[in-house]
Amino acid sequence: MRISVTINGTSFSDEVEPRTLLSDFIRHQAGLTGTHVGCEHGACGACTIQLDGQPVRSCLMLAVQASGRSLRTVEDLAGPNGRLSALQQAFTDHHALQCGFCTAGFLMSADALLRDRAGTHLTEAEVRRELAGNLCRCTGYEGIVAAVLSVADPPLAAE
Amino acid sequence: MTASGTIGVGLTRREDARILRGETRYLDDIVRPGMLHAAFVRSPHAAATIAALRVPVGVEGLVAVLSSADLGGLARFPVTEPPGSQIEAAEAHPVLADGEVRYAGQPVAMVLAASRALAEDAAERVDVEYEVHEPILSPRESEHVMMRWSARRGDVDAAFAEAAHIVSGSYALARLIAAPMETRGVVAEHDPELDMLTLWCSAQDIHRPLAQLAHILRRPPESLRLIVPDVGGAFGSKGVIAPEVAAVAAGTLAVGAPVKWTEDRLENLIGAYQGRGMEADLELALDARGRMLALRARLRADLGGYLLTTTPIPPHTAGTLLPGCYDIPAADVQVLGTRTNKVPTGPYRGAGRPDAAYMIESLVDAAARALDVDRVALRRRNLIRGFPHRTATGLDYDSGDFERCLDRALDLLGPVAPAEPGEVRGQGVALYVERSGGAWESAEIRLDPDGRFRVASSANPHGQGHETTFAQIAAERLLVSPDAIELQFGDSATSPAGVGTFGSRSVAQAGSAVAMAADALVACGRDRAAQVLGVQTDRITHAASGFSASTGTVSWDSLAKSTSLGPLRAEARFQSANVFSSGAHGATVSIDRRTGALRVDRLVAVDDAGIVINPLLVHGQVIGGTVQALGECLTEEAVYDEAGRPGARSFLDYSLLTAADVPPITTAEVATPTPLNPLGAKGAGEGGAVGALPAIANAVADALGGVVVTPPFTAEKLWRALQEQSLRARGGEGSS
Repeated sequence: MRISVTINGTSFSDEVEPRTLLSDFIRHQAGLTGTHVGCEHGACGACTIQLDGQPVRSCLMLAVQASGRSLRTVEDLAGPNGRLSALQQAFTDHHALQCGFCTAGFLMSADALLRDRAGTHLTEAEVRRELAGNLCRCTGYEGIVAAVLSVADPPLAAE
Repeated sequence: MTASGTIGVGLTRREDARILRGETRYLDDIVRPGMLHAAFVRSPHAAATIAALRVPVGVEGLVAVLSSADLGGLARFPVTEPPGSQIEAAEAHPVLADGEVRYAGQPVAMVLAASRALAEDAAERVDVEYEVHEPILSPRESEHVMMRWSARRGDVDAAFAEAAHIVSGSYALARLIAAPMETRGVVAEHDPELDMLTLWCSAQDIHRPLAQLAHILRRPPESLRLIVPDVGGAFGSKGVIAPEVAAVAAGTLAVGAPVKWTEDRLENLIGAYQGRGMEADLELALDARGRMLALRARLRADLGGYLLTTTPIPPHTAGTLLPGCYDIPAADVQVLGTRTNKVPTGPYRGAGRPDAAYMIESLVDAAARALDVDRVALRRRNLIRGFPHRTATGLDYDSGDFERCLDRALDLLGPVAPAEPGEVRGQGVALYVERSGGAWESAEIRLDPDGRFRVASSANPHGQGHETTFAQIAAERLLVSPDAIELQFGDSATSPAGVGTFGSRSVAQAGSAVAMAADALVACGRDRAAQVLGVQTDRITHAASGFSASTGTVSWDSLAKSTSLGPLRAEARFQSANVFSSGAHGATVSIDRRTGALRVDRLVAVDDAGIVINPLLVHGQVIGGTVQALGECLTEEAVYDEAGRPGARSFLDYSLLTAADVPPITTAEVATPTPLNPLGAKGAGEGGAVGALPAIANAVADALGGVVVTPPFTAEKLWRALQEQSLRARGGEGSS
């Protein structure tokens, strides 16, 4: 069957099997391979994208369920000419990535968290809890948590 | 960026921007025209004979079902023989099951189809008849010895006969799963005209997979090209190719079309070689003053159903490292690796180092309790203080300052605060040595007409940051900005020869090769400048501005542009013995008396990796390794049921730690340079995973009043230990 979605502000339409996962649709049909698949059972969060602004695991949805909706993937985070967003820049400044396979999922989760919580004080414990849906095997999370806190607005209150 | 002084600077990574924008290319992102997809039929049984295999007919998209008989002529895996060991090479892993299966999850047949979904559909319809046998699950019950190693030095029997104290302990470590976020995989493509088989493989390096494939496929290495794209982590688990990779390579040749296999998470959890799985009985002889006289150890390794290429390495490494940081004049260490009906074991971050550190450091704490002396004082009495030092197991430690690491860790740890009501609290400290480096790597460097330096290194990365680190090394020697340097890795068609990326060796070996190649390029530059300036070479000085003599200065840029003499290029190969990193880690833990739940309150990691090239990246390695050790202590264990079926089948069964599970970790650095390489650098990749395990284990044993529990320290195990401890205490009261 044919579905149409908006991905990163552009409409995209293609034939899919009813069983096609949204993650496979994004990667293999829309060709956006920045979204990675780590477990295909909703546990690792590597495939996290934003669906109508909310972070979701694209391996836990069928492509047909996304029909008519708006998707945002990691490729949409950087600005014109590839200029890194404040969150992306903070990830590199705080050495929040090593192998990079989980990074897109963390960025999409953290980007949504920062948007949802703009104007409220985020604590380190909250960031750790909110990011507990994404697994990283390399960094031990220290750099990731520091990166997210560094761009929180308002900034982290001295504890 | 300043042109000099780049070593020791925490530069952020040049690798990052591409990753952050989603512009990477991992294995599953690779698509070849006409590509088929592979899925595997796997044994559900831990031990069985294959009685029959029936292939489905008329299945949509199915191209071929290939079993061992269809891929005739393949060799089994080559097996590495650690020095002084005996290996049963006949127990090597076959590519596809050859009449029998020895573990649940073993690949039996390969299905090739037009898409991955169709391949998986067809694989479900392959009908295999098994005659099921009783599995052997405990390495102690197994009579099939696949690997032996022993070391004996000094008069061990006399030392034990004369000892004032003999302390013994039995310790075990569970099987662990490396679980990189990217699973394994391969794309294979054959060019019949050139008879060139190209493989894109999610691997730690190009050299070892290529050698393994050449052996298994019985093809000359020149007829294989191995390309390693971006790799989403490995932690030791991608140093040996998956049997499935060899099957895909052979299948590509058989059907004449490119084939892709992307491992799924279930396959990775049950089918990728696992780590640890070791147990040991140890005895330590001490004199009346607490001086260690001799160590006796019987170490058993659960090797699984077959030998993969590096399966014998971790038990050998553990055996050699058992003396740890202590000056023990005599040792009798025997290592026995036996066959069980589980997936093979192999290197996982630490690969024998955490095992040895856990065992000796637990035993030292047990000795302190038995002798009723302070744990730290007993350590100080026995630390190795002179280098080089030859251990009783035959290793040569090159450098270190173990006591300074210990002092620093104790400072950072501070005194233990009293336990909260309803809790018991403990503190632990542990030392470790990390065998790193060794063998050789190479590098090529050239100055191109665009003024940029291009460095090809034999050691390619899978998350460590080689691009940034190696650029810093070259920049320091060339006296240019790291921004002027580009790194190239990971294609056997263009890469210089090397050994591989494993065992915390890249900076020490491959980094030293880059430094030497850069030095050689400077020498070439000096020669050219001497010609241009019309002076003797020894009149030339090399500085950030270029090559100068009294008659003038020639910059790198002008050398790059003067192409009449051809491009400037140089190469180097660097070889050395092992270098030994070391460190001291500490932990404070609390255990809930009612539930047994463990809380790690804080961790301290002091590591000595010699001269550090990039402290930001080394810190990342230490924290990442420490958190893997914390996972080993809190949750991780590859369990099997009584039929040998793996219990870890998803990330819900095999639980990796999340950001919410990690306590504060304080790190510090001690830097004793190694004399064995031009950088003074030692390995940093595994220390965190080595030191934190015994530190936490000793803290837990401390909280439990000396009761030793095998990690992971689950609430149930700790609750039982607390009951045992309180029974003992009550028994003690009753008898007094």
